[in-house]
Amino acid sequence: MAAPLELSCWGGGWGLPSVHSESLVVMAYAKFSGAPLKVNVIDNTWRGSRGDVPILTTEDNIVSQPAKILNFLRKQKYNADYELSAKQGADTLAYIALLEEKLLPAVLHTFWVESDNYFTVTKPWFASQIPFPLSLILPGRMSRGALNRILLTRGQPPLYHLREVEAQIYRDAKECLNLLSNRLGTSQFFFGNTPSTLDAYVFGFLAPLYKVRFPKIQLQEHLKQLSNLCRFCDDILSSYFRISLGAFSCVNRYQQQIDFGEVHSHDSTTRKLIASEWRHLSSWTRYGRCKSAETHTTCK
Amino acid sequence: MQLLLLCRETSWSDILCLGAERERDPVRNSVHAFLQMCNLPIKVVCRANAEYMSPSGKVPFIHVGNQVVSELGPIVQFVKAKGHSLSDGLDEVQKAEMKAYMELVNNMLLTAELYLQWCDEATVGEITHARYGSPYPWPLNHILAYQKQWEVKRKMKAIGWGKKTLDQVLEDVDQCCQALSQRLGTQLYFFNKQPTELDALVFGHLYTILTTQLTNDELSEKVKNYSNLLAFCRRIEQHYFEDRGKGRLS
Repeated sequence: MAAPLELSCWGGGWGLPSVHSESLVVMAYAKFSGAPLKVNVIDNTWRGSRGDVPILTTEDNIVSQPAKILNFLRKQKYNADYELSAKQGADTLAYIALLEEKLLPAVLHTFWVESDNYFTVTKPWFASQIPFPLSLILPGRMSRGALNRILLTRGQPPLYHLREVEAQIYRDAKECLNLLSNRLGTSQFFFGNTPSTLDAYVFGFLAPLYKVRFPKIQLQEHLKQLSNLCRFCDDILSSYFRISLGAFSCVNRYQQQIDFGEVHSHDSTTRKLIASEWRHLSSWTRYGRCKSAETHTTCK
Repeated sequence: MQLLLLCRETSWSDILCLGAERERDPVRNSVHAFLQMCNLPIKVVCRANAEYMSPSGKVPFIHVGNQVVSELGPIVQFVKAKGHSLSDGLDEVQKAEMKAYMELVNNMLLTAELYLQWCDEATVGEITHARYGSPYPWPLNHILAYQKQWEVKRKMKAIGWGKKTLDQVLEDVDQCCQALSQRLGTQLYFFNKQPTELDALVFGHLYTILTTQLTNDELSEKVKNYSNLLAFCRRIEQHYFEDRGKGRLS
C-alpha cells in the first residue's frame, strides 16, 4: 500500500522487540502478514501519545487496540488468516477469548501488581522510556488500571480477599497454558505451517512472560516446563525478529536492548538508534559499535 | 437425592406478563439445561432472597443435601465429582477447544447482554431499572438499580468496552454467533453426538436472547440469521425441556 503505516508502541528488552504484550501482538501480526510497518518506539520526547498504545497511524486514520488494528490491516489486504478454514477462524476467536479471560489477568498481575516484580523491574523499565515527570505518573496509572481490571473481572464474591483472587487467577493461567500446550502439540504453529492471528496473540502474551527476568516467577516457571510453547516463542523470535550478530544493537541503562525494524525517534532522523548510554557486553564485543538501523523488511 | 435449583423471584407483574421467570437469565438457563442433560432429578424453586442464600451472591445455585454450589463452572465441577460428566469422552485437544469456546461465549455474549441491559439508555430506562428494582420498595428499587448500573459501567470501562457504541457491540455479537455457527456446522451438538457443558452454555445464552423482549430486536435478529443455531436451540428445548413436561413457546 502506498500510505505509510506507522505504529507507536513500547520498546523492547530482554531479547524482545517489545515488552508490552499488545504492542508485540501487532508487531508479530505485521511480520506474519507482510505489512510494512514503521515502528516508532515511545521515547524520552514529548511527541506522540502514550495512553492507548499500540496505535496505528496512517494518512487518514488513527486506530488503537490490537483487535481493531488487526482488522484494519486485514482490510488493507494484509491478511495472515488467508489460508484458514471457517472453522479455524472460529477457533481463533475462541482461543483469543480464552487468552484474554484466563491468561491476561495473571500476566497483568505478574507485571503490574506483584510488588516485587513491579517495583524492581516493570516500573523502572517503563519509567526509563518516558520523560520526567510523566515517568512518575504513568507507570502508577498503568498499575492501578491493571489491578482495577483484575478485581472488576475476577474479584467477584466469594473471592473477597486479593490473595484468593491471586490464587484463582494463577490457577486459571496455568490451566490455560496447559491447554495451549496441548493444542499446539508438536506443530510449528497453531494452524499448520504458516503463522496466523492466533499465533500472533499467543506470542504476544507468552513472550514477555517467557523472557523478562522477574524476581517472582511462578507463572514463568510453569511456562518453562511447557517446552513446546517455549520453542514456539523462540522460533518466532529467530525467524521473524531476527537476532543475528550482524544486526544492530543499542543498550539502555537497565539491560541489553535489541531494537528491531526501522526505529525512528520522533525528533530527529539523525538520532537513529544512538542511545545516550551503551555498554559492551561479551556477546557483542565483535561488533562493539552502534550502527544505524538497517531497514528491516519482512522476512517472507 | 434431589437437586434444588434456586433462582431469583421477581415481582408478581413480571411473572404474569412474560409467563415464566426462565427466559431472562442466561446463566439459569445454561445451568438448567446442563442439569437436564446430565439426567439429574431437579426441582426449580424461586425465592426473592435467593441471591442472599447463594454462597457467591449469584443466582442460580443448586442445593443438594447440605451442599450449596453456585455458577456454572463450579456446578459442572461439583456434578463431575459426583460421577456425572458430559465431557469425559473428549480428548485433550477437544477439551481445550470446549473451554476456549465457553470463554468466547462468556467474553462476547455475556458482556454484550450486560451492555445491552445496563449501558444502552433506551433499554435501561424502559425495562432494566424497573425489572431489577421490582422486588424492593421505594426508594430502594431506584438506589439498587443505579448502583448496579454504575458497577456494570465501571466493569465495561475496565475491559475496554466503555467507548463501544451499540452498533459495535452488535457486530461483536454477530462475529461470535458466526464463529459458533461455523463450529457447529451441520452437527447435532458441538462435539457431535453428545451434548456437553458448551452446548448447555450456548443454549442458555441464545435462548435468553431469543425469548427476552427488549426495546429493539436487533440482538435476536443477529442470532436468527444463523439457522443452524436456531435449530440447535429448538432441538435442545424439545429434547430436554418439552419432553419432560416443561415445554413452552420458543
